[in-house]
Amino acid sequence: MQNAWLIPLLPLLSFILLLLFGKKLKEASAYAGIGATLLSLMLAAAVMLGQWGGESYKAEGVWLSIGKHAVTMGYEINPLNALMLVIVTLVSFLVHVYSKSYMRGDDRFHVFFAYLGLFTFAMLGLVLSPNLLQVYMFWELVGLGSFLLIGYYYFKPEAKAAAKKAFIMTRIGDVGLFIGIILLYWQAGSFEYDEIFKAIADGTISSDMITLIAILIFVGAVGKSGQLPLHTWLPDAMEGPTPVSALIHAATMVAAGVYLVAAMYPLFEASSAAMTTVAVVGGITAIFAASIGLMQKDIKRVLAYSTVSQLGYMMLALGSGGYTAGVFHLMTHAFFKALLFLAAGSVIHAVHTQNIEEMGGLWRKLKITAPLFLIGALSISGFPLFSGFFSKDEILMATYGDGRYGLFVLAVLAAFFTAFYMFRLFFMVFAGSPSQEHGKVGESDGPMILPMAVLGVLAVLAGYLNTPWFGTFLADYLSHGPVRFAAEGEHGPIWIPILATAVSLAGILLAYLMYGKKKLSRNWLSRSLPSLSTIVYRKYYVDEAYDATVVRGTTGFSCLWSYVDRYLVEGAVNGTVSLIQWLGKRGSYMYDGQVQRIGAVAVAGLVIILLFFAAAGGYFS
Amino acid sequence: MNSIPLSVYLVLALILFCIGLFGALTKRNAVIVLISIELMLNAVNINLVAFAKYGAKPGLTGQIFSLFTITVAAAEAAVGLAILMALYRNRKTVNVDEMDIMKR
Amino acid sequence: MSHLISILVFSPLAGILALSLLSSKNERALKLAGLLGALLPMLIAVIAAASFERSASGIQLAEQVNWISYKMLKTGDAAYFSIRYEVGANGLSIVLMLLTAVISVLAAVGSWTVKRDWKSYFIFFLILELGMLGVFAAQNLFLFFIFFEITLIPMFFLIGRWGYADREKAAYSFLIYNGIGSAILLIVFVALFMRAGTLNYGELAKILSTNGYPGLGSTFRMSVLIALLVAFGIKLPIVPLHTWMLRVHVQAPPSIVMIHSGILLKIGAYGLFTFGIGFFPAEFKQLAVWIAVLGVINLLFGAFLAIVQTDLKKVLAYSSVSHMGIVLIGFAAMNEAGLKGAIFQLISHGLISALLFFLIGVLYERTGSSDLKDYSGLAGAMPVTAGVLLAGGLASLGLPGMSGFISEFLAFLGLFKVMPVIAAVGTLGIVLTAVYVLRAVLSVTFGPTRESYPVGRDMTAREKIPAFVLLGLVLVIGIYPGMLSEPLHTVLDTILLGLRG
Repeated sequence: MQNAWLIPLLPLLSFILLLLFGKKLKEASAYAGIGATLLSLMLAAAVMLGQWGGESYKAEGVWLSIGKHAVTMGYEINPLNALMLVIVTLVSFLVHVYSKSYMRGDDRFHVFFAYLGLFTFAMLGLVLSPNLLQVYMFWELVGLGSFLLIGYYYFKPEAKAAAKKAFIMTRIGDVGLFIGIILLYWQAGSFEYDEIFKAIADGTISSDMITLIAILIFVGAVGKSGQLPLHTWLPDAMEGPTPVSALIHAATMVAAGVYLVAAMYPLFEASSAAMTTVAVVGGITAIFAASIGLMQKDIKRVLAYSTVSQLGYMMLALGSGGYTAGVFHLMTHAFFKALLFLAAGSVIHAVHTQNIEEMGGLWRKLKITAPLFLIGALSISGFPLFSGFFSKDEILMATYGDGRYGLFVLAVLAAFFTAFYMFRLFFMVFAGSPSQEHGKVGESDGPMILPMAVLGVLAVLAGYLNTPWFGTFLADYLSHGPVRFAAEGEHGPIWIPILATAVSLAGILLAYLMYGKKKLSRNWLSRSLPSLSTIVYRKYYVDEAYDATVVRGTTGFSCLWSYVDRYLVEGAVNGTVSLIQWLGKRGSYMYDGQVQRIGAVAVAGLVIILLFFAAAGGYFS
Repeated sequence: MNSIPLSVYLVLALILFCIGLFGALTKRNAVIVLISIELMLNAVNINLVAFAKYGAKPGLTGQIFSLFTITVAAAEAAVGLAILMALYRNRKTVNVDEMDIMKR
Repeated sequence: MSHLISILVFSPLAGILALSLLSSKNERALKLAGLLGALLPMLIAVIAAASFERSASGIQLAEQVNWISYKMLKTGDAAYFSIRYEVGANGLSIVLMLLTAVISVLAAVGSWTVKRDWKSYFIFFLILELGMLGVFAAQNLFLFFIFFEITLIPMFFLIGRWGYADREKAAYSFLIYNGIGSAILLIVFVALFMRAGTLNYGELAKILSTNGYPGLGSTFRMSVLIALLVAFGIKLPIVPLHTWMLRVHVQAPPSIVMIHSGILLKIGAYGLFTFGIGFFPAEFKQLAVWIAVLGVINLLFGAFLAIVQTDLKKVLAYSSVSHMGIVLIGFAAMNEAGLKGAIFQLISHGLISALLFFLIGVLYERTGSSDLKDYSGLAGAMPVTAGVLLAGGLASLGLPGMSGFISEFLAFLGLFKVMPVIAAVGTLGIVLTAVYVLRAVLSVTFGPTRESYPVGRDMTAREKIPAFVLLGLVLVIGIYPGMLSEPLHTVLDTILLGLRG
């Protein structure tokens, strides 16, 4: 456990190595990244096993002193972040392996792996941080990794726009986090988690302040996790290479917001207003993004909106007091969503398009990818006995138990939508006959299949960590952490899992009838309610609204000030200049070259000065 | 001798200076202007000597300083007259009003 | 008594002497002499910094020689008014001298692109360096003023002779604005001298901190402080006194802008810190709210304007305006975190803007333009340049792990303690900074690669050295700020002691 600091440093080493020598290593670059993450994974697993049931471990050193306060940097191992370490290193390792094959032949192969290393470093650093300042620093660095990888295809204007948007949108959230951390520092006198929790427990911070700080920190989480209203960057982020979408925009970074809320759970619990905010934002995001997912045509965008929706679910769980449920869903989601993205990448690799309307009938051609995708889809839809079923159940129960029935209904509806759009996707891609000939469609090779297979197994099995039947390993494990949460031993009414199953099956069935059997018309919505379907298809015009208000507003405001600068400020300067020139010209009329006149003026000046001094009675006294 | 107060010398110097100033600023003949400047310098000399004798700290400094001034004034007069000669050769006049080449 | 600081300050003279002996036609030798002339002070600065006792407080390596002394007739006998030649260093000024020496060397490397009159260029360059070192070394107001003026003259010629198309106007507006600032400074210094009878920093601070010293009433103090604020506000610059600085940034040659933006602007902040806060802590506290407001205005005004600029140099010029707002914010906080943030910002911005302007020089040499429209997809044609530019941009927008973050964070940390509302408005600047930096940097590096680009003409080894040195320093400070914070600690302690009265 003392060696846990090596876990993030290994990927950093790979980043530095590839930055310096990547050009020479070429395709061998992949091995540096794979090797580093594999080592990290093994270390992380060792750390988690060592941690199991034990106490938290913390090591830190002084980084900077502000007056008497010493700001420290270090690392901490507790149940929550040990779990996160394993998830992150595992997914990162698998994505590294996958990318080796997926990115083959790319000009900047080594740069890609360098960026992956940087991102993994930052993400692991974020997870290991024992204090909020360090969290914030790595929080920004994961944003950097995400930014670099979204903009990996730098020559594509869309990628450039998406990278910029991702950075700026998340930064808006980060400012909230920034202010929250600073306010918390002056309230609690420290950035350290344990001291903050102590201050909250002691009641030294007023409840209004706690609410304000919690909501500000949540704003940071909203930006990172693509919650409403800062969600628009996440679907655009799909411009990055697909393995990146799997790693960053599905499994790890976007879950950082959820992780942060979980890590700061005592703060949120101390304020019911903050909990309500988290739950409501999460619930609305879940249904909102799921409804957009119903209409999208790009395979990656469907998955992206699904990610937004699932993250909303996790927030809803945390906001409803379901700490274990939120973390549990974070874990299962990491596996099945990474699986779905990697499988989607495999499909894109095969057919070279992302438009699902141009796909179809791939079941027979992609004999391994298709079943794996099905596993992912069943899992996310909450099909019984797959991992998503268990974690989603927990969330529904937590929401129901919390008594916000409106949000409960939203969550159930979102579950139905999820099942529907996932199977709409599945049937459109794999069922039926190819709508277009794609030339030779071949299955991906081993390095791509293997990670998917591992994730497929996990997508099924991860659910059994915390079930009503086999025991609640995860909840027991997490209860050793610094965060004390209410035991969720008592289970909700039995009809909740049944309802969830029914809803999920209904969604799948409807998708089957519409897209599999084609018994129902696909276009009934766009025909019966054209305006609604357009609105949904255009993602509720959120992008357009932001463009019209914030973007244009800022640009207009800037232009306004640039005119002020050019004409008012510069004008004042130029005015002064011309005034002085005018005075000089006037003055020069008096000067006619006559020595005696010059002398007379000089004497007059002297007399004036003398008179002035005579009146003032001396100088400087 | 001591009966004559300092102020008398100072008034004399003041009168001399004002006459010199008036001449330097109003006379049209450059030679007269030069002479007026000499008058002003001599007014200063009187001041220096008077202060040296009757000032707060009597001493020889003022007298010696005035000797310097006289010397410099002589040199200055010589240079001034030389410039005047050169000007006269060029422009055939010693009238100050007509010397406005500084304007151009 | 150590002569080290004097040797450091006047060491550029060796280079000037060498340059004056060389033929003005011999380009290579002149450039080399210029570079060596700048290397010598750096070497001495490193020695001075090494012999500097980091944890001790007060002025170190001090040197005092009587220079001019005279009596006032009116006051009669007792008090000799004396002006001494006295130099020395405290924790802040030693760091700034080191920064000056380092950036001068790198700017000398960046001066390789100068096309003509190398001899006079490098002579002016070294005089400028002498002036800057002197400003930070001076231990009394008289010397400070002399060295301050010494920087103006070479700067005027460097802008006016080696700049771009509209250089002369820029040079004059530089001279006039700074001349006004100097005039105000001179009046302030004379007034202080007449009333307090000394120009030495330490003695002045002591006299000004004693209550009821004759002739130093609160009105006098306040008006002196406001005059200082205006004088150094021109230098810093504070909006709306910033227009001269934009012109200089756009028109001066990039290597000179490295120095200008890297060091000369910092003199304004150094003066405000040493004289404004150091001499008049109580009055500064009264003005703190206004200074915070000015800081936020600077931050936002610069950021908003940087968003709509089409010239890369102008974007950076406005970003300097914006970043200097952070210095003001830190000063206004008047607590350890804020002041530390402001000082970190001085150093960090010095390094970052030097780096970015160096890169502009690199780009301009290859493409002959700094207009954003003329750039696209540089990452394809010149990956190293593009990478460093991106890194510099990220440092400028305050990415953690780089020096800009430390200063931004500390300044806001300080201000949130005392004026949370103003600080909250200021945080808008964090987002805007990201917007304009990414807009500018991405439109240069990303997008389809222009075919006209000189592929394979990435940075040469000579160009890589300054870029990597600067980037390395930015990273080192960002990763372990404690390194810098130790020598600054003692300075801050002294100032904070004054604040408490």
